Amino acid sequence: MRFSGPEGEIALFDGLHLSIAPGETVAILGASGSGKSTLLGLLAGLDVPSSGRVFLDGEELTALDEDARARRRALKLGFVFQSFHLLPTLTALENVMLPLELLGGEADAASRAAAALAEVGLAQRLRHYPQQLSGGEQQRVAIARAFVTAPKLLLADEPTGNLDHHTGHKIADLLFGLNAERGTTLVMVTHDRELAARCGRVLRLQDGRLEAA
Amino acid sequence: MRRARLALRLLRRDWRAGELRLLAAAVVVAVAAVSAVSWLAERVGGAGGERAAELLGADRAVRSAEPIPEEWLQQARELGLAYARSAEFPSVVLAGDATQLVSVKAVERGYPLRGSLQVSDSVDAPAEAVRAVPPSGTVWVEPRLLPPLALAVGDSLGLGEREFRVARLLRLEPDRGGFFDSVAPRVMLNYDDLASTGLIQPASRVRYQLLLAGPEPALERFHDWLVRQELRGVRWRTPEDASIGVREVMLRAKRFLGLSALLTVVIAGVAMLLTVRRYAARQVDRVAVMRCMGATAGEVTALFAWKLFWLGLFAGAAGLALGFGLHWLMLGLVAELLPAELPALGWRPALAGWLTAFAALLGFALPTVLRLRRVPPLRVLRRELGQDVFGGASLYLAALATIFLLMWWQAEDLKLAALVGAAVLATLAALALLAWGLVRGLRKVRARGGRGLLWLSGLTRRPATAAVQIMGVGVGLMALFLLTVVRQDLLDAWRGSVPADAPNYFLVNIQPEQVDALRTRLRAEDIDPVLHPMIRARLIAINDRPVRPEDYQDERAQRLVAREFNLSYGTALSPDNRVVAGDWWGERPADPRTLSVEQGLAKDLGIALGDRLAFQIGGEAVTGTVGNLRQVKWDSFNVNFFVLAPPGLLEDYPTTYITSFHLPPQRQPLLTELVRRFPSVTVFDIGNILATVRGIVDQGVRVVELMAALTLLAGVIVLLAALQITGEERRFESALLRALGASRASIRRLARAEFLLIGGLSGALAGACAALAGYVLARQLFELSYPFNPWLPPLGAFAGALVVWLTGGAGSRRYYRGSPMRLLRGGDD
Repeated sequence: MRFSGPEGEIALFDGLHLSIAPGETVAILGASGSGKSTLLGLLAGLDVPSSGRVFLDGEELTALDEDARARRRALKLGFVFQSFHLLPTLTALENVMLPLELLGGEADAASRAAAALAEVGLAQRLRHYPQQLSGGEQQRVAIARAFVTAPKLLLADEPTGNLDHHTGHKIADLLFGLNAERGTTLVMVTHDRELAARCGRVLRLQDGRLEAA
Repeated sequence: MRRARLALRLLRRDWRAGELRLLAAAVVVAVAAVSAVSWLAERVGGAGGERAAELLGADRAVRSAEPIPEEWLQQARELGLAYARSAEFPSVVLAGDATQLVSVKAVERGYPLRGSLQVSDSVDAPAEAVRAVPPSGTVWVEPRLLPPLALAVGDSLGLGEREFRVARLLRLEPDRGGFFDSVAPRVMLNYDDLASTGLIQPASRVRYQLLLAGPEPALERFHDWLVRQELRGVRWRTPEDASIGVREVMLRAKRFLGLSALLTVVIAGVAMLLTVRRYAARQVDRVAVMRCMGATAGEVTALFAWKLFWLGLFAGAAGLALGFGLHWLMLGLVAELLPAELPALGWRPALAGWLTAFAALLGFALPTVLRLRRVPPLRVLRRELGQDVFGGASLYLAALATIFLLMWWQAEDLKLAALVGAAVLATLAALALLAWGLVRGLRKVRARGGRGLLWLSGLTRRPATAAVQIMGVGVGLMALFLLTVVRQDLLDAWRGSVPADAPNYFLVNIQPEQVDALRTRLRAEDIDPVLHPMIRARLIAINDRPVRPEDYQDERAQRLVAREFNLSYGTALSPDNRVVAGDWWGERPADPRTLSVEQGLAKDLGIALGDRLAFQIGGEAVTGTVGNLRQVKWDSFNVNFFVLAPPGLLEDYPTTYITSFHLPPQRQPLLTELVRRFPSVTVFDIGNILATVRGIVDQGVRVVELMAALTLLAGVIVLLAALQITGEERRFESALLRALGASRASIRRLARAEFLLIGGLSGALAGACAALAGYVLARQLFELSYPFNPWLPPLGAFAGALVVWLTGGAGSRRYYRGSPMRLLRGGDD
């Protein structure tokens, strides 16, 4: 798989082949700069490689244009980021409503978002703004936002990276709980071996190759 | 100098990185506004001391309502003074069947004693400076007289009982006086021809002048001699006096334009506050590194102060270039009102422009930038340090102080500056508050509504910047609406309030012996005129206490006392008069020495019911007691008087008659006939005069409109500055929305919705405020029934949406191009 960067085309991944089954939990480990996040971005169709192909749910993402890939993300993907990435000027509820609204203003967006927040234990925090929430609570809002559209695949980029050990543990419980309850496929990039160990499959990215750890 | 050079180098880098462009743009617009107005005022108003003698046409002048007596000339000759006489009065000229009200000036050989006239042989020929008067039998006329009379140089025109040949065109007459003396075009003739026109009759309204020139001691002695004659109604005029009228008008126009230019400066100041805040915040890390490498707080201060200095210098120069161009444009707009040759360009406006640039940077930008000295070097290790250096109200206090000082400078009057400053700030605050309220309201709607209101989110996500943007664009639009739509509405309302058959012609200077013939002639045309007797008088005492102009503070009161005004008498009270205090005398007054005074005049001069007023008529004093006060509807266009007496008091004094009537356009030939038959009677065509005045006002307004356009431009810079501030936020949002599955098109749609909302709201607000201001002005100031214009808010919304959509869309495109991958790179890779 080749990838174009600012200095021209670079081969970031070498003969990389990865296939993930529905309902699986997969952890990707790797050193800084090994390309973990880039791989996650390619899986989500945020970017496309200059050579190589990505399939999601049987459909080739790399053959679609940007807007079509965005549509697939809206329908099938959930995202959890290391820095939460909530919109600071929207309340918790509004942040969770956002993906539903992007899908076309679902009639019950507010009630579905409230239900999702209740599920992550934030029923009492609907009208709070991100800066009024703790880091753990913010990440829970982000998780509620990720699964409110009932995605088939949840991608998590260092989901516990900015949290203390205890809170990180709770967040991980939440993610694996969702996987168990809903059968959502979970792919996470992490440094945390303990978190990785809870996944069904653990892979390591090194020198552009993906190996079972 | 090392620091200055370093600052210049760093500034160049900042510029290349696009950091300071909006700040510079704000400075450019502010400087352009101030310098354009300043240049305009200097060139139009070129009434500096060195030209004062030209404005009088002499070293001294004596003005009188009576012809200049021979003994004055004798006295001037004895003292070795050069002299020339002139006489000025309104009259009507005839050419074929066309008539035109003109301002006649008869001048004696020797005129002008100082300065020169500019004349030409045709409209296209270059003007030539002359010190001469029209040869006998010919006149020199202003070019604008020719088209309405279908005349050319060499043709003849009728003036009174004589015919004159138009010999040359008068292009510049330095002692013409102010704008508003210039409503009727000038016809200049030789003093020796004056008597033969038959236009001068007893009690005719003529302004005679004796112009004098010579050594200062001789002039002083003439003055002393004149004072000893104890004459009334004679005014000694110095060059300074001559420029007062011009100066007053110019000072007012300059103040008004200067203050409207400051509105632009204030809005540009808001843009400066916004941009410099972002700029300084982005410098925090750089400063921390510099401090870490050994720069002292003082060096940091000097560096940034130098940077702002250079910015002020360069952006100021660009602003001056723009202001210079604008002043040409403005001169073009008022060209018809101006003489062919204007004073040369001065350097003072350039200085004023640069001063504005530095004052604005000092007030709006420097305080923020200076806070950078507080950035601790430890920030390189501990990121949370130095985040709060820009807090506190003192930054805004500096800005407010700057606004106030600039206002004071332009208004040259502390009270006026305070008033205007308060009004501007109140308007800005009201707009900002309204905008804030609207945005909060929409936010509530969105929070409650849930479904389908995503398009509202752009605005509600950024309530503070949205409110500032709405305010900035709103002020500019409001200024434009007030000058265009509201002004037109007010004019229409005023025109609507004048009945269709309101008098449109005034006849003045009707001699007593002409009254019967004139009345008969008018009756034959089904016009039943009321001919009012008119006696010219000067108020000399109230309750036996002499009145002098200098006793009054108010300018209008000073003018009223200084000049003669017209008295009349009769038994009937005109329908447009209403007695508000005391009783009307009716057919038989209890005391013939009773006077009726118009209430506005009474208020201005401090006259109350029962006061004894003394007037001088000719050489005699006449006294009477105020028996009632009247309210007069002046805009009825009927003949009305400040002071009326019952029959029996004024009959024996020199009297002329005046009347007004309505004449439909198709019956205008009657006027030509009247002018031929009664040459000394002057016809005032109200429609024509109003059209001329309106033409002058319209040209002035176009200049102000240009200023309002600059204000709008400053508003657009505020919009762009606010966009720039939120740029990083927008990039992040766009990336996040893309990651969450939004298409590019839907992100663009969201941004568009935000801009349309901001523009629509600011325009609707501006429209509503302008309509409200118009409504209040009409009711309170002009006493017109003017309905609130319901079309202004929607019209404003449309105009605002268009402006903001175009500029905002163009200004924000780059923020929506980023890849969503950046969200992931926020992690460790």
